[in-house]
Amino acid sequence: MKHKMSNRDKTFWAVIVPVLVLFFAFNTLPMIKGVIYSFTNYRGYGSYDFVGLRNYLDLFTDARVGKSYLFTFKYAITGTVLVNVLSLVMALGLNSRIRFKSALRGIYFVPNILGGLVIGYIFSFIFTYILPAVGTTFHIGFLENSILASETYAWVGVLIVGVWQAVAMNTIIYISGLQTVPQEVYEASMLDGASKWKEFWSITFPLVLPFVTINLVLSTKNFLMVFDQIMSLTKGGPAQSTESISYLIYRNGMDGGQFGFQSANAVIFFLVIVLISVGQMTIMNKKEEQL
Amino acid sequence: MMEDKKKTNWVLTIVLILGTLTVFFPLYMAFIIAFKQPSEMTNDVAGALAFPQKWSFENFRQAMEVTDFWRSLGNSLLITLATIVLAILIHSIAGYVIGRGMAHKKSFRFIYLYIVSGMFVPFSILMMPLVKQTAQMGLGNRAGVILLYLVFYMPMNVLLYTGYLKNIPIALEEAADIDGASTWKMYWKIVFPMMTPMHATVAILTALGTWNDVMTPLVIMSGTGQNTLPLAQLNFQTQFGTNYNLAFASYILALIPILIFYIICQKQILNGVANGAVKG
Amino acid sequence: MSERKTAKKLALLLIGGIGAVSLTGCGQENTDGRIEVELVSYKPEAVDAFEEIAAAFNETHDKIRLKVDSPNEAMTILKTRFIREDYPDIVAIGGDINYSNFLDADLFLDISDLAEVGMVKQAYLDMEKELELVPKEGVYALPYAANAAGILYNREMFEEHGWEVPDTWDEFTQLCAQIESEGILPVYFGFKDTWTCLAPWNALAVGLADSDTCNQVNLGETTFQEAYRETAEKIRQLLDYAEPNPYAYSYNDACTAFARGQAAMYPIGSYAIPQIKSVNPDMQIDSFAFPANQAKEDNVLNSGIDLHFSVLKNTEKKDAVYEVLRFLYQDETVQIYLDHQGGIACKEGEFEIPAELEGMREYIESGRMADFQDHHYPSEMSVDAMIQTFLLDQGEDSVDTFLMRFDKDWKRYNRDLIRKVQQYQKEMEGTR
Repeated sequence: MKHKMSNRDKTFWAVIVPVLVLFFAFNTLPMIKGVIYSFTNYRGYGSYDFVGLRNYLDLFTDARVGKSYLFTFKYAITGTVLVNVLSLVMALGLNSRIRFKSALRGIYFVPNILGGLVIGYIFSFIFTYILPAVGTTFHIGFLENSILASETYAWVGVLIVGVWQAVAMNTIIYISGLQTVPQEVYEASMLDGASKWKEFWSITFPLVLPFVTINLVLSTKNFLMVFDQIMSLTKGGPAQSTESISYLIYRNGMDGGQFGFQSANAVIFFLVIVLISVGQMTIMNKKEEQL
Repeated sequence: MMEDKKKTNWVLTIVLILGTLTVFFPLYMAFIIAFKQPSEMTNDVAGALAFPQKWSFENFRQAMEVTDFWRSLGNSLLITLATIVLAILIHSIAGYVIGRGMAHKKSFRFIYLYIVSGMFVPFSILMMPLVKQTAQMGLGNRAGVILLYLVFYMPMNVLLYTGYLKNIPIALEEAADIDGASTWKMYWKIVFPMMTPMHATVAILTALGTWNDVMTPLVIMSGTGQNTLPLAQLNFQTQFGTNYNLAFASYILALIPILIFYIICQKQILNGVANGAVKG
Repeated sequence: MSERKTAKKLALLLIGGIGAVSLTGCGQENTDGRIEVELVSYKPEAVDAFEEIAAAFNETHDKIRLKVDSPNEAMTILKTRFIREDYPDIVAIGGDINYSNFLDADLFLDISDLAEVGMVKQAYLDMEKELELVPKEGVYALPYAANAAGILYNREMFEEHGWEVPDTWDEFTQLCAQIESEGILPVYFGFKDTWTCLAPWNALAVGLADSDTCNQVNLGETTFQEAYRETAEKIRQLLDYAEPNPYAYSYNDACTAFARGQAAMYPIGSYAIPQIKSVNPDMQIDSFAFPANQAKEDNVLNSGIDLHFSVLKNTEKKDAVYEVLRFLYQDETVQIYLDHQGGIACKEGEFEIPAELEGMREYIESGRMADFQDHHYPSEMSVDAMIQTFLLDQGEDSVDTFLMRFDKDWKRYNRDLIRKVQQYQKEMEGTR
């Protein structure tokens, strides 16, 4: 370390301090306040009392909260796996020798630019009317009833819409990953007479592994925070079978009078997200190093 | 395969073209519903898929009236554009300072982690305190929404900029340093222009997020008489008496600006997103 | 350039950018010296009525300007504004749990010195009293319009087939069987929107349980397992007469289906009538109170306060606000509202009952009405979803499961309230 701050250092601090102040004031500070509220029975307005750890204790015995965690995890795990498999396949397809390549890529990205709420409403209409009508006409038993009305399958409906939107973004990321793989690598493998399948697993996949990490972390996080789709498709129903954590926090925290309790829920949820993301990155980094 | 590298895989092309139906079909549905009248909404396949009896723009006219379309559009544009411009200016220099700083300094490494970890903070935990806070500071308006977006997108954008910085050789800056240029000047003259591809990415990712966002303007600007486009769409989600046709007309209206923008800038957008993944 | 300048520049950039935006947002206030009274209505569907009323008011008053806001998602917006401590002068909301909570948070002004309070039908003033979580001195709401819930039916269809309006539960189930045997669907539900589960629930419960059931439970005098058993059993029976899988259809869908004649009856409130008529403007709708009991005399009409006015405590323009309330309560103004929105006036006097509620007239005129039970349920408990869960539950002991959960959850969600109520009770006993 030098004894005197250089011009460069001073500029750096002069830039970073206001940015940090801004970030602290509108991200960290409200979060701290949220944590404080989590120890109260605050409704959001009016007076409130501190209730100690009661909210946190309640959280672990609340069947509805437990159910929402189960649903959210089920949704996030299946969604993440599906999205990554599908978008990798799509990316391979869109990156191969096809015609209209850029037009096709452009079209498949469209779901991502549209708002989740609107998409949800459109799909809700399709699930409720079009699919059951198709099911009845062609005597396909499981389609005859709206899947959104089924306690067992409603989450699949939400999943379809979530995946539909998420695949768009992840495909583009995978395509850019595939493009970083130099052509010579493939040529070499062709000389070896490797099959397509083998070529993918032994060459392509390891090379796009960093992109798998990005996509896994991003899609897990997005799926865990699912909100728009629930809001527009099921509103948590039927029989509270599709209540995601975010939805429950919003629903009962803002609209209901459980702000204090749901703040506690949000704190735990935050910790869960951080743990999962850090865990994923550590594991994937190890994998990348091995290869 | 080996024999002819130029040969088009037609089977795959056709499969992929058919696959686009999954994208077009929901949009087609939205489109025709937006043109129909409530009395045309039937519960059978043929009826639901059929074209409307007449192509009247009456639903759109009404939807525009109810949502005060032009003003909402103006607000959405203002908020999105202001957020993009400020994000590019502020997040890029923050990303630069953090990226270069953390090469030698622990404190900057810490700042980097502090800001980037903000990505994992769920909005739900911030929402209520933010509503109170912005109101007390007189920021319960469009300016407040822009400011909040700047904070919400800071983690992702800083991550992108610091990532991209690895591609810019530090030698350039050192050369400028020797020439006696201040770091501030050097940044705007040399580094900022070199990060142009990342500016595009940041602009696109930020725009996609802010344009479609409902929650932030809803809780921050509600009651000010100002709407954004998605906020205006809530006009149709009232509990009693939702009108599918008007609602879909308003959805289509809300989708059109971004679709047009996408069609014009499709290439840049796709490149921008891809860039974020590769360099980020 | 020095680093201090750097910091200044960046700060300027930030402040300048944001300032420029906020500037464009200001400068729209223009009250030309009149006192502005802001009224926020929670009924966006009544926006036309309020616009007409506000125009009439502003024409006749040159000192006061009435400004009406009917935002969407009004409850969320109102709560957000309360969080911000940005209060309007008057709120037009329903007599439900939100009102109870706002009142409990001490947001409203006592308006018992307003002469108009004396013109309200007693039944509705009593209803307002029951909404107070802990009984309070004074009057905090001016009831305006009420709705009624029971069963809407397709009059043409009834006349065509010669069906009679039922008076008792047995007659009702027989009628349903009859309708079914003629190949028509007796009732339609839109249970995909969970809140619609509350419509038949409330309509049954008012006839089968006491109107202060929730308070009795809070005081430990009864349990829901006792009070709601019959209601639960009967709402379940209704499913036999509804379309298969009612959980697939929304409120909208059910309104549409009923309007198209796909079902003979629709158990819902009068608020659905404008929606139904938007699909089929010529439809002849009539209604009857839910025949929940074995004897007609025991039946009670489910009617609640759909809209009332409360004045925010923080208002600095009490005189102007009272002037507005007086205007709103003139017969002609009430009539404007009813013409637009239907419903039942809460003011004493000769107001027309809409044709669609003809079948409920005798109940309305004799005051045999009770409030929606769900107006006492905390919204975060989501009783609507619990009812939906119960109806989906095919198990033998579903009624027990449901009611046990009701009792258990009730205690959880109302913990602070129960403590307050019991404490109040003790205090009252102490003072006696």
